[in-house]
Amino acid sequence: MDALPREAHSYAMELRQEKRAMERPLVSVVDDDESVRESLPDLLGEFGFAARAFSSAEQFLASDCVGQTRCLILDVAMPGMSGPELQRELKLRRREIPIVFITGQREETVRLQVLEQGAIECLFKPFSDTALLEAVNSALHPK
Amino acid sequence: MVEEARVGGNDFEWQYRLLMPNHSIKYMHALAQSTRDQNGQLEYIAAVQDVTARRLAEEARDKARSELTHVARVTSLGTLTASIAHELNQPLSGIVTNASTCMRMLAADPPNVEGARETARRTIRDGNRASEVITRLRTLFGKREATNEPVDLNDATRDVLALSLSELQKNRAILRRELADDLPLVTGDRVQLQQVILNLLRNASDAMSTIHDRPRDLLIRTEPDDNDRVRLSVSDVGIGFEPQAADRLFEAFYTTKNEGMGIGLSVSRSIIEHHHGRLWATPNNGPGVTFSFSIPCRREGSTSDSTRDRRIPSVSDGA
Repeated sequence: MDALPREAHSYAMELRQEKRAMERPLVSVVDDDESVRESLPDLLGEFGFAARAFSSAEQFLASDCVGQTRCLILDVAMPGMSGPELQRELKLRRREIPIVFITGQREETVRLQVLEQGAIECLFKPFSDTALLEAVNSALHPK
Repeated sequence: MVEEARVGGNDFEWQYRLLMPNHSIKYMHALAQSTRDQNGQLEYIAAVQDVTARRLAEEARDKARSELTHVARVTSLGTLTASIAHELNQPLSGIVTNASTCMRMLAADPPNVEGARETARRTIRDGNRASEVITRLRTLFGKREATNEPVDLNDATRDVLALSLSELQKNRAILRRELADDLPLVTGDRVQLQQVILNLLRNASDAMSTIHDRPRDLLIRTEPDDNDRVRLSVSDVGIGFEPQAADRLFEAFYTTKNEGMGIGLSVSRSIIEHHHGRLWATPNNGPGVTFSFSIPCRREGSTSDSTRDRRIPSVSDGA
């Protein structure tokens, strides 16, 4: 590998990463609640996804996962940047990652707003594993 | 009482109840000063007062205050419902997710028993979390008589913060706490004091709800105060109030909020005054306001007004 020119090397790495991503798509979870960050990745793992959890929108944006994330599971209300604000920010950065919102506040207005802004789904906590799976699959395989 | 007086030879003060022949209750207040006559004999000069009317009025006032505080609590429950649901939905969601994962792990071939065990452990922990939330809520919102006991204001504050954290976060308030170490205890009704703290926190958060050009800093601080007192203050960086509105802030039903009920500050001040304290508001040097209350520390060796403690069972034949 050292013999290859730099650009070819990093291109090969990217291809390898993409292949891995396609085999086990990366689903990123952003939620300030610790029990969500603990429990969701395990469930996503059982569904056959690779999963990473972040405690804030800022942390997610600063990570190296933004490019590889195939679906974002995003809490609505968070201290600092909120879920809808992250949705807006990703749009501005031209990162059209499909988003499944999750929220503990059953407010219809918030749900309508995020759907209007292009979210795949907005699930109210507690949500069933099948509801989550359906939403993530819709995100990964848009009709 | 007579026996004690004969033996003691000291000044005394008694409050007692009499059960009258017609089955009504009278409240009596007796004050006696001991003296020696020219022969060195012990004598008492005493006054006995029928304080029934005053005592009944005080009880009625305390009951009304409890009622009003309860009403304020319950109506504020309406606006807190959304964040209560949020508070409970977090652990419930953890439970559902973990249990779902558990099922899938056990259905795998071979079953992932270690993983399943971990999800079960988290489920129990989240169940306990939900239970704690409910206990805190019942303490804060149940109807009850006022009590008088030693209170750690820092502890009381932490409990209130745990309950209201999600509501504050929803309003994007950035909470900072400066709770003094070794804060002396105060005497009073823990739940009523928590009600005041909750009221101040929510007012601060609401005052900042239209602020977009600066971080919504909310500071809660406890510290010892002069004259053997303890002070708690809540500072915001919100819209503040007009100098001419300063007096009206504490009036019953005064509110600057569209959906406000205006009961909060009036009841809060009443509660603090009942604790022999003071509640006041000061505009900050920068934007926003600081609300503070200051109440006396607990006196060593007493848990309440010493005269109130002295009660003996009623004397049934109207002595």
